[in-house]
Amino acid sequence: MSSVLLRGARIIDPANPGAPSPRDLGVRDGRIVEPVPGERWDQVIGASGCIAMAGGIDLHTHIGGGKVNLARMLMVEDHRAVNNPHALPAANALELPSCGRCAPGTLATGYRYVEMGYTAAFEPAMVASNARHAHMEMGDVPVLDHGAYVMLGNDELFLQLLAEGGPDAHNFAQLRDYTAWTMRASKAMGVKVVNPGGISAFKFNQRKLDVNEAHVRWQVTPRQVVHTLARALHELGVPHPLHIHGSNLGVAGNIDSTLQTIAALEGLPAHLTHVQFHSYGTEGPKKFSSAAQQLAEAVNANPQISIDVGQIMFGQTVTASGDTMRQHAQSALASPRKWVGADIECTAGCGVVPFRYREQSYVNALQWAIGLEIFLLVNNPWQVVLTTDHPNGGPFTSYPHLIRLLMDRSFRDEQLARLHPEVAAHCALRSIARELTLDEIAVMTRAAPARLLGLRDRGHLGVGAAADIALYHDEPNRETMFATPLVVLKDGTLVARAGRITATPVGGTHFVEPGYDSAIEKTLRRHWSEHGSIGFDRVAIDRDELCRCCNGGRLLPAACFEGSS
Amino acid sequence: MSEVSAPVAGWVCPFCALACDHLDVQIGQDDEPLALRGGDCPRARSGLQTFASRSADVSPTIDGRNASLDDAVAAAARQLAASRQPLFAGLGTDVAGARALYRLACACGAICDGAGGDAAMHVLRALQDRGQFTTTLAEVRTRADLIVFVGSLPTDLAPLLAQRCGIGEAQLATRHLVVLHPRAGDAAALAAMARNGVSVESIAPDGDLFTTLAQLNATLARPASSAVPAQPSAAGAALHALAERLRRASYAVFIGAPLHLPAHGALIVEAVHRLIGRLNAGTRAAALWLDGGNGAATVNQVFAWLSGLPLRSRAGPRGLEHEPFAFGAARLLEGAAVDLLMWVSSFDAAALPPPCTQPLLVLGHPAQASACARRDAVFIPVATPGIGVDGHVFRTDGTVLMPLRTVRPDALPGVAEVAQWLLRARRGLSQP
Repeated sequence: MSSVLLRGARIIDPANPGAPSPRDLGVRDGRIVEPVPGERWDQVIGASGCIAMAGGIDLHTHIGGGKVNLARMLMVEDHRAVNNPHALPAANALELPSCGRCAPGTLATGYRYVEMGYTAAFEPAMVASNARHAHMEMGDVPVLDHGAYVMLGNDELFLQLLAEGGPDAHNFAQLRDYTAWTMRASKAMGVKVVNPGGISAFKFNQRKLDVNEAHVRWQVTPRQVVHTLARALHELGVPHPLHIHGSNLGVAGNIDSTLQTIAALEGLPAHLTHVQFHSYGTEGPKKFSSAAQQLAEAVNANPQISIDVGQIMFGQTVTASGDTMRQHAQSALASPRKWVGADIECTAGCGVVPFRYREQSYVNALQWAIGLEIFLLVNNPWQVVLTTDHPNGGPFTSYPHLIRLLMDRSFRDEQLARLHPEVAAHCALRSIARELTLDEIAVMTRAAPARLLGLRDRGHLGVGAAADIALYHDEPNRETMFATPLVVLKDGTLVARAGRITATPVGGTHFVEPGYDSAIEKTLRRHWSEHGSIGFDRVAIDRDELCRCCNGGRLLPAACFEGSS
Repeated sequence: MSEVSAPVAGWVCPFCALACDHLDVQIGQDDEPLALRGGDCPRARSGLQTFASRSADVSPTIDGRNASLDDAVAAAARQLAASRQPLFAGLGTDVAGARALYRLACACGAICDGAGGDAAMHVLRALQDRGQFTTTLAEVRTRADLIVFVGSLPTDLAPLLAQRCGIGEAQLATRHLVVLHPRAGDAAALAAMARNGVSVESIAPDGDLFTTLAQLNATLARPASSAVPAQPSAAGAALHALAERLRRASYAVFIGAPLHLPAHGALIVEAVHRLIGRLNAGTRAAALWLDGGNGAATVNQVFAWLSGLPLRSRAGPRGLEHEPFAFGAARLLEGAAVDLLMWVSSFDAAALPPPCTQPLLVLGHPAQASACARRDAVFIPVATPGIGVDGHVFRTDGTVLMPLRTVRPDALPGVAEVAQWLLRARRGLSQP
C-alpha cells in the first residue's frame, strides 16, 4: 500500500483535544502514523493553509434498500430535473452512469458523498425481511463504508412476546435474545424503532398511537416497546443505543410525545433521530409552533441522549420512511401528487411521499427554523449529529449549505428574511447569535457519529486511526469549502481530488454480532412456520453471503461492550 | 429415476415469481433429469426437467457451429463492438448477473428491456404516475380476509399461489375469494379452493375489466348507505355486494398478473390502486402484483438502484434516458431501431429470443443451443442460479431477496462471468 504525507495542515480533530496543529499527517498502510524525520513517502501533499478533518460520517441517511429503490422508481422526474437525458460522466472513466438528486442511484450516492469528504454512511431503516437487498445496495455504493440499523418493534412477534410478558416483562430475556438474533441474522449495526408499534397498528386499521396508548391488537404501548428495546440493546452491549423515530412524526404538538419517549427510557441511553420532525408545539394563530427550546432543554438535561436533526432544505425532495401510519396521513400533501406505501412481511412497512418544501409556506419555513434552533440550542455538540435525514428533509448534497447556515449568522439571517413573513418576524432563530465553530462542525459530522456508533478508529486523526481524511481549503465561505475538499483519502487511498473521483475501492460493512441464548430459535422457528413466507433456515445471512451481497468489501464487525448483561 | 442420494432439502425454486423454498430436489445419475420431491408444482417440475443431474456438456456456437468458449466470447465481443445500438433483452438472470450486465450495457450504450417488458411497464408506469400501495406474501397469509383476483386466477404463472397466500389455513376464520372477469377455467379452479372457512365467487360482468373497475370505484365513492341501483343485472348486484364486502373487510388484497392484462393494462393497475387508496381512507387494503419470474424483475431492481432508472433505459450518447414506451424490445426489433439483440435467459429453456433479423448473441440455458443456431448468431450456454450456481432473485412482492443455492455444480460459466469477459474483450477491441 502506498504512503502519503499531508504537510502542514491545520488539524481539526476534536476527539484528540490538545494535539498540536498545524502539523504533518503521515499515512501508511491505510492508517495514520506519526511521521519520522527523514522518512520516505510515496506522495507528499502540501497542505499548509488547508484544514484537515477525519472523513465525514453520516449516521442517518437512506441510501439503500426497498423503500429507497421505490423512491427512485417513483421519482422519474427527479432524474430528469436538471438534464434530460442526464449527462454521462464522460470526463471520468472511473464513474459509471448514475443519476438522481433526491433519490440518486447507489453509484451517484457514493460519488457525491465522497466528493464532499464523507467516507461512511449508515442506512437507518433496514427491514429485516429486506436485509439482503439493503446490503446489496450498500455494497453498490462505491467507496463509502456502510452499515444499517434493523427495524424492530413493529414486527408481530416482538409485540406478541411483549404482550405475553405482561407489564412486568417477565419474558424480557426472550425479547433480548430475539433482538440479538435479529441483529445477527440481518448483519445490522444497530436497531431502529419507527413509530413504536404504530406501523403494525396501521395494519389493524389504527390511525394514531400515542406513547401511552394501547396497540389495538396487542394492547401494548409505544412506551413499553421503546423501553424494552433500549434495555435489550444496553444489556447486549451494542455500541449504538436504540435509534428512535418517535411517535406522531410531523404532527403539531408532538413535542409531548417526544418528551414522553425520553421519559419512557428511564435514563437508558438512546439516539432520537430527525428530532426536527418531532419538535412541534401548538401555539400561535396556526396552531403550529417551534418546540425546539423544550427539546433542547430535555437533551441538555439528559447527557445519555443523542440526537440527529433532520434539517429540512427548501426545494423538491422525497420522503422515504418506515412509518406507514404517518406517511399515509401525510400523503394528501404529496407534491407531485402521488405516493407509495407497503405493508411488509408482518415485520414492517414503508411510505414514500414526494415533498416540496417551500420558503413561503408557514409550516415549511417554521420547520426550517426549528431544525436550526435545535442545532444552536443544544449545548454539547457531542450529543448532536448533522443530518437532513436524506432524502426526507433534503438531499445530503445540501450539507455544505447547512454548515454555512450554522457557522455564519449573517448568511443565516439573509436566508431567514426570504421566508414566510410571520416566521421571519417571530421565530426564536432571529435572536440566536451562536455561530458553530469548525471544531463543533467536526464533532457533529465525524467525531460524534463515530463515537455514537462505537467506531474507535474512525472519526478522528489520532495515530492508529483509519486514514479516512478530508483536506479542505480554508475558505471564508464555508459552503464552498465543504462542498469540494481538495483531497479525500479513504483508508489511505486517494479517492477524490478537487471534486473529481480518483479511485473507487469497495467500502466495508460495519455490523455487530451480539450473543444470545439459542433456545430462542425454537420459538422463532415455530413463528416462521406458522406466520412467515420463507423457511426459517433461509432467514439469516452468514458472513460468506454478506460478503457476496456487499460486493466483496471488507467485513468490519464491531465489538460489543463487555459485561453489560 | 435412480435415487443415489438423499434429496437436496430446502431448495429455493427459481422458476416462478413466488420463489418457494419448501420443496426438495432429487439428483439422479448422469443424464437423468433433476426431479422434484416433497410436494408438487408443475412449473418447478418442468423447470427441473430441463437440467441433467450431471452438468451439461454443451458447447458454445458461432453461426450454429460448435466453437470454443474463448472463440465465442471473442466473436460476441466483435458483435458488440460493431453494433451502433445494441438491445439487451430477456434479462433472465440474478443480482450478480445484473450487476455485471449493467457495466456492459453502459459500455455499449445498450437499451435494456426484460422479458414481458410490456407487462412490467403496466405496473411501473402506474407507479410512476400515481404511486401504489402493496403488500407481501406473509401479510396476505396472516391477514387477508378478502382476496380479489383481478382479470385472472394466475395459477398458470404461479401454481402454488393459493398455498402461499395461506388459503385453507386455519389462522383466519373466514376468507372470501373473488375472481373478477375470470378466464376460461378460472371459475372451476377457484371453486376447487372452496372449503370450510373459504368461500369463493366468480364475477363476470358484461363489458371489460376497465369498466368493471370504474363501476366499483364509483360505487365505493358513494356513501355506504346508498341503495342498490334499481333493477340491477346479476353482475351489477354482485359488484355492489363486492363493494360492500370491500368496505367491511379487515384487510382486502387485490392480486393481479400484468402478463394477463390487455393492452393499456396500466390503466387497470391504476384503477386498482385508486380503489385501494379509497378503501384505505376507512379500512385496509393493498395490492400484490405477480410478475413473470425468471429474473427480469430482479434486473429491474438492480438497474434502478445502480443508475437511478428502471428498465427500458440506456446510457446513450446523450446521457441516461428512460423511455417506458419507445424502449420496448419488440418495437425496437420490428422497427430496426437496434442492430444487435443480446438475449439473456439463464432460467427458462422455453424463453427463446424473439424472431428477428438482427445479429443475435445469446447467453442462454444450455437447452436453447439448437434453437439459437443460425447465421449471425453467437450462443454461449450459462449456468442457472439455483441449479448450477448460487445467486439471489427477488420474490414477486419486491421486498424479499431470496438466496438461491447450488443444487449440483456446473461446468458452465454464470451470466456475470460472461458479461465481465465480454466487457474486457470489447475494451480490448475498442482500443487501437
